[in-house]
Amino acid sequence: MDLDVHLEAIGAGDTQAFARWVAGAEPAVRASLAPFAAQVDVEVVVQEALLRAWQLAPRVQRDGKANCLLRFSVRAARNLAIDEVRHRRREVVRPPSDEELPVAPVEPDPLLRRAIEECRAKLPKNPSRALLARVEAQGTESDSKIAERLGMKLNTLLKNFGRARQFLLECLERRGVHVGRELSL
Amino acid sequence: MKPEERQVLIERVVSAHRALDPLERLKSEPAFHDLDEAGRREAYELAVKTRLLEAALDEAGLSSTGRAVLARITRR
Repeated sequence: MDLDVHLEAIGAGDTQAFARWVAGAEPAVRASLAPFAAQVDVEVVVQEALLRAWQLAPRVQRDGKANCLLRFSVRAARNLAIDEVRHRRREVVRPPSDEELPVAPVEPDPLLRRAIEECRAKLPKNPSRALLARVEAQGTESDSKIAERLGMKLNTLLKNFGRARQFLLECLERRGVHVGRELSL
Repeated sequence: MKPEERQVLIERVVSAHRALDPLERLKSEPAFHDLDEAGRREAYELAVKTRLLEAALDEAGLSSTGRAVLARITRR
């Protein structure tokens, strides 16, 4: 899959095209940061790298290979992570060569979607509420606010969310779906 | 640290929500710095799985990370 089919539209400011690109690109960007997971808050780096992809897409030149913008983003993410490590530890970190960077986009999987929907329908009430609330918050609302909205204590919300995820993962495994396996977890 | 407290810290790191500093840059989640290296790796692995689940539950295939980034660019 070549996510550069969206490059021209993204460069022209089409946020819908960027959303389609992000859906395929984000897992690869996050996976590329696995070596830094103990040193930097990967979530921050992933979001900043995706934001840079949006900002710099108009200037990204195709080089004849697939997934040009994704490769740019993976490189940007690794460089941001290295900068953060250097900043915090004042140590020399070797930048990766392009050959070392994983750039496999994730394709939509309708079977996984259906399996998750079926598993979600079986979730106990409170884990289900916690999961739905976090999904609906779309990463823009703090857990404290979500907990307040649901009338739950913060720790209760977080525990319920963890239970919901565990329930879904186990339900999917019983169906032969191993989430994250393709990303070598 | 009790296992229950550790789990709460991990769940906070797993969230895609990050506060912004005055220069509109994302700040790292404070709970990340309260975890040891094993806890941070565990949070990373859970975040990978969580984002894949979220994306599969979303009509446009976006995780909460993707949604948070889209929210940032559309409100600029």
